[in-house]
Amino acid sequence: MAQVVRAFAPKADHDKCIGCGQCETYCPEGTVMLNDDRKPVFDYRYCKGCGVCANECPVDAIAMVKEGAQ
Amino acid sequence: MSFTRMMEGNEAAAWGAKLARAEVVPAYPITPQTELISHIATLIENGTMKAEYIKVEGEHTAMAAAIGASAAGARVFTASSSQGVCYMEEALWMPPGLRLPIVMCFVNRAIAPIGGLRPDHNDSLLQRDNGWIQLYCENSQEALDTILMAYKIGENRDIYLPVAPCYDGYFVSATATPTVVPDQEKVDKWLPPYKHELYSLHPDDFRRPPRPMNIAEGRYEVQKAHERAKQVIEDVDRDFKKVFGRGYDGFIEEYRCEDVDAVLITMGSMTGTARDVIDMMQEDGKRIGLVKLKGFRPFPSEEFREIAKKYQAIAVVDRNTSYGSAGGGIVSMELARALYPMDDRPLLLNFHVGLGGSDVTLRQIEYMADKTLEAAAKGKVDEAVDWVELHDLGEVM
Amino acid sequence: MNEAFDRRYEENMLQGGTTCCPGCGGPLFWKMALQALGPRTVIYGDGPCAMCAIRNIKIPTFNLHFSFVADGATGIVNAFKAKGWDDITIVSSAGDGATGDISFGKLSAAAERNENMIQICVDNEAYMNTGIQKSGLTPYGAWTTTTPGGKESNKKDVPLIMAAHGIPYMATVSVAYPRDLQEKLRKAKEIEGFKYIHAVIPCPTGWRFDPAKAVEVSRLGVDTWAWPLYEVEEGVLGMSRRPEQKPVTEYLKAQGRFRRLSEEQIEYVQATVDERRTNLLAMEGKRIIL
Repeated sequence: MAQVVRAFAPKADHDKCIGCGQCETYCPEGTVMLNDDRKPVFDYRYCKGCGVCANECPVDAIAMVKEGAQ
Repeated sequence: MSFTRMMEGNEAAAWGAKLARAEVVPAYPITPQTELISHIATLIENGTMKAEYIKVEGEHTAMAAAIGASAAGARVFTASSSQGVCYMEEALWMPPGLRLPIVMCFVNRAIAPIGGLRPDHNDSLLQRDNGWIQLYCENSQEALDTILMAYKIGENRDIYLPVAPCYDGYFVSATATPTVVPDQEKVDKWLPPYKHELYSLHPDDFRRPPRPMNIAEGRYEVQKAHERAKQVIEDVDRDFKKVFGRGYDGFIEEYRCEDVDAVLITMGSMTGTARDVIDMMQEDGKRIGLVKLKGFRPFPSEEFREIAKKYQAIAVVDRNTSYGSAGGGIVSMELARALYPMDDRPLLLNFHVGLGGSDVTLRQIEYMADKTLEAAAKGKVDEAVDWVELHDLGEVM
Repeated sequence: MNEAFDRRYEENMLQGGTTCCPGCGGPLFWKMALQALGPRTVIYGDGPCAMCAIRNIKIPTFNLHFSFVADGATGIVNAFKAKGWDDITIVSSAGDGATGDISFGKLSAAAERNENMIQICVDNEAYMNTGIQKSGLTPYGAWTTTTPGGKESNKKDVPLIMAAHGIPYMATVSVAYPRDLQEKLRKAKEIEGFKYIHAVIPCPTGWRFDPAKAVEVSRLGVDTWAWPLYEVEEGVLGMSRRPEQKPVTEYLKAQGRFRRLSEEQIEYVQATVDERRTNLLAMEGKRIIL
């Protein structure tokens, strides 16, 4: 498995999140999942920080922050 | 039920594929292989043979489909010649490294330009570097038998290499000789169903050999398989003889070589003609014998060193061309290297004949034999590489 | 939580963390496709960027070089047939270079033989894995390293060509419309014979845009009718989406590879897109095979 090197990482604001699941649907690597509360959690082992989840979120509940700040 | 009938090489090979219970046959027609695959199509159509015959659109596809099918667990058979082999070449390099025991007949045909539809051995010899086992056949019977042996050799779990039974276009493929087609039950007992230990693509049992991390080590594995194959080829041949009553002495057959000074080495259909010439010449008291080379890959170097001790001169008859080579034809160069470590080497002659598919005549073989005996008597070789067809030898005979 | 993700990767049949570029549509496509295809599937692939995703796939895969599109799969299909294993779906995947250029003939032949498999083209519109070289499926005007001034010829219409073979099913899909994509794959699974699915895969690296926009750019492709979604089933054309047409310049301006297009060239692209849209709508519901 690739040793992932990231410049940015996703950070979710669970209060803003409406649980639509777009982030989970569109993550190219499957490293975004909705937990039991239907809020996004990220697998930072493999997330590449591409930003698709943040871009697709209809309510801007995901921000791409500098790697390490998530 | 075993039966015997006059049969052309291509039909005999089709029966070989049928008896071996080949399950997938991806093949594209090319002269002089065409009848082989149309016979297979007929055998399938009339229910004699049960196989998926993939009528591919080209040889490049044929071998790739063969690879996919073999990895997926099916026993595969295909065949091609000349230009088709060249088109297939990219794919031909895969089965040995992937360790897939595909059996493919090379129905030898010269490669263009300067050569027509008839045989020389450049198409199969072109595979000499990529790891295919190569076994040459003199006639229809040998083609059929070699196909059966090929599966047993290739599918041996210590080998897992593809095997090429090679036979000359026209002179074997389209020449009818009496051929025994063994009983299917007997073959079934001798050749068990194909089950590759390293490969399965079924979701319930997915297996593939791991990619070697060290490339040289990975390649060396294929080399070692070739070295092990020598013993397996001999064992299978011996076993075949025990069960079916016909054997081919593994790699090398010495024909009437007791008490001779020199030998000709031939490969393929010209061996049949050469036997007649040797018979005639020995009747005249000439001390010339014949060595038939059946196994070209793996090359029987040790075996040749053993027998070379007995002769003063050895002549390799090369039905192939290797322009600009270190010296002569392909087989002669292999043999020269095999004999090199000997302290006391026989004289080595090399004849090019039958190039581009021309016929190899009795007269030409007699010429080569005479030249070889001359060299043996003189203790030296005048012409290291002799293109026999450039000489006007008068009556063809 | 790691265990939850590990379980998810098993369910997805795709391990997270491919060696594809961030934002690559390749793994995204496979993540969506595998859910529709299910575990009783074997994938035969070749060498496109999407291959990097194939290495992470957890169902049986087998691959040869890209000059052998559909060939290895043909062998697998027939081997499984010989063995009587008829409950396994065989999928063959190839990039656009393989599909449209070097293995084009293979594709045609497999279709003609009506081999029972799903042939997928993962089309990122150039030879990306080797550093962005032009393929027959690179669109007009696109920058690549071998067409630095923009590609002079049009994109080869492989979906239409494959439909013209008279195969039972052909469909175009986009990762921006996953439900449509999955429905089509499920449909293909149930059909006997040669099925062809053409997926345009967004490539941030080769198309020159921010990886975060991968799905957005794909959506624009569909919504501008640069990349229409349609199917041809038993020769009859069906439109999957009839979006309100956005000007194609929105799609072009979103990608660096079209940066050097002149106004004239953009008009040309718009004209070709309009023509395709008109023709598709006119042929909708009709049998388009002669």
